[in-house]
Amino acid sequence: MSEIKKSINRISNLEELTYRDTVIHRLPPVIKLLMTVIFLVTVISFGSEQVSGLFPFLLYPVLLMTVAEIPMRPLLTRLLIALPFTLFAGLSNMFFSKEAAMMLGGIIITKGMLVFVSILIKTILSVMSVLILVSTTSMNDLLYAMLYLHIPTIIVLQIMMTFRYLSVLAGEISVMYHAYILRAPREKGIKLIDMGPFLGQLIIRSFDRADRIYHAMKCRGFEGGVIFSEHKKVRTTHWLGLMIVSVVLLILRFVNLSELIGQLVIG
Amino acid sequence: MHMSDALLSVAVGTTMNVVSTGTIGYSVSRIKKYEPEENKIPMMGVMGAFIFAAQMINFTIPVTGSSGHIGGGILLAALLGPFPAVITLASVLLIQCLFFADGGLLALGCNIFNMAIIPCLIAYPILYKRILRSKLTPKRITIATILSVIVGLQLGAFGVVLETLVSGVTELPFGAFVVLMQPIHLAIGIVEGVVSAAVLCFIYRTRKDILENALGVQNTPKLHMKRVYVGILIVAIFLGGFVSWFASSKPDGLEWAIQKVTNEEELTIDSEVHNELQQIQNATALLPDYSVKSVKPIRENVSTGLSGVIGGCITLFAVTAFGTIIMLIKKRK
Repeated sequence: MSEIKKSINRISNLEELTYRDTVIHRLPPVIKLLMTVIFLVTVISFGSEQVSGLFPFLLYPVLLMTVAEIPMRPLLTRLLIALPFTLFAGLSNMFFSKEAAMMLGGIIITKGMLVFVSILIKTILSVMSVLILVSTTSMNDLLYAMLYLHIPTIIVLQIMMTFRYLSVLAGEISVMYHAYILRAPREKGIKLIDMGPFLGQLIIRSFDRADRIYHAMKCRGFEGGVIFSEHKKVRTTHWLGLMIVSVVLLILRFVNLSELIGQLVIG
Repeated sequence: MHMSDALLSVAVGTTMNVVSTGTIGYSVSRIKKYEPEENKIPMMGVMGAFIFAAQMINFTIPVTGSSGHIGGGILLAALLGPFPAVITLASVLLIQCLFFADGGLLALGCNIFNMAIIPCLIAYPILYKRILRSKLTPKRITIATILSVIVGLQLGAFGVVLETLVSGVTELPFGAFVVLMQPIHLAIGIVEGVVSAAVLCFIYRTRKDILENALGVQNTPKLHMKRVYVGILIVAIFLGGFVSWFASSKPDGLEWAIQKVTNEEELTIDSEVHNELQQIQNATALLPDYSVKSVKPIRENVSTGLSGVIGGCITLFAVTAFGTIIMLIKKRK
């Protein structure tokens, strides 16, 4: 099934991006994770009708994407997938909130419009920042960052294994789906009535697979923990850099740069 | 049902993250305590991947001609037990958020609460487990599964409504939002319930031990569920009160710079133009259009609005130029 293969390709495409070697890629994963969270918090903390103040924050994805040499296309296509729900929620504001907020060239800009644009920019910023994090940091590095932040081993292992076996199980389900569709050529998907045995089979296969994996892990000395080599050490300069970025983000949060530039131009 | 960051306030996001983290922490301690064998770990990992894979296939819904896919909360809880299911679903949600832009990173707490904690730790013990406690038969499995999936989804959808409205980012009225969300999720719930029931009945016929194991293991200590609920409630009330107070009072103080320039004027204008604005509100048009001359007081506001727009455009241009320059420099190297 092409849809399943597409999903798996999406993940592996992002993973491939993490193999590059740029300044951003070399940063310790913890720093990148924290930086993303701080960026997200500052962006989300903007009021629902604030628009112009959000513009300077676009510098963050632009800067990181160019320095880390991340191609635009794969990230933008993912952004499109994320847009529909927020677009819907944003658009509905235009109908419910028609109070005028300001005038521009004879056209009244309603509060709903401002909220809509604000939500749109926030979506772009938040989705892009997370995608940039994932395309510059490999899953193993991210998991290492989680261990560094004292997230329980069970959870880290759980994420690691889910991630590892995604492609395996997706491959398996793809084969099963293919076999089904070949025998039911006019169907758009699997019939509701067949879903029980179809997924049930896969569950039983997955259980058996998990058992085999466990035995294999046990043979290699697994005792419930993870061993990671600390290859990207966090230095004081990294923390200092993180602090500087945070301060800049905070300044941009409370000083509306767009407004200031605009006032300078208007005089 | 995945919530995104853009529709969330920091206060709600933080509160829900703390609530979900706390519940996950409790789930981890439960797993460590009552299921000390590490073989649960590969099982949870593979089942997480299974849910992912299962969500990729569409099934056709009879009569309607549309298609749907499963969410999997109750299904996982029935196969692994509620606490491992919460952790498994949380990891699936994290991967979806990171790689598929499905739900935001700050909204992860909300999503884990709506789609993992509600079905696994509320709907599962209250409905599924209770119905199946005395006897495990296909009929009972079907009823229990369908009911708990529907209830879980309804509560989850209501959670989305509440979290979005409390955040106050959109201006959607409560009633309209509820009317939009609940019926859709009722339909989804019925279909997902039927599919999950069919799957579990198949497992019952072929590998009954899996279902019995998941039910039986969790049967031992009973009282602890109450502790989870009370814990969640306390944390939610405390954080909801404290964080929202902090978050709502703090920016007001710090935003004085922006407010001073814009809001003061805006407020006076609002009252003066009130009557005329009401006419616009009544109109159904999306882009109410009337000339500037008729409303004098708005003019003052035009300058601040205009400076924002012009400044914004310049900033946008500068950002693009900046990116292009870096790219050019990098290419030359």
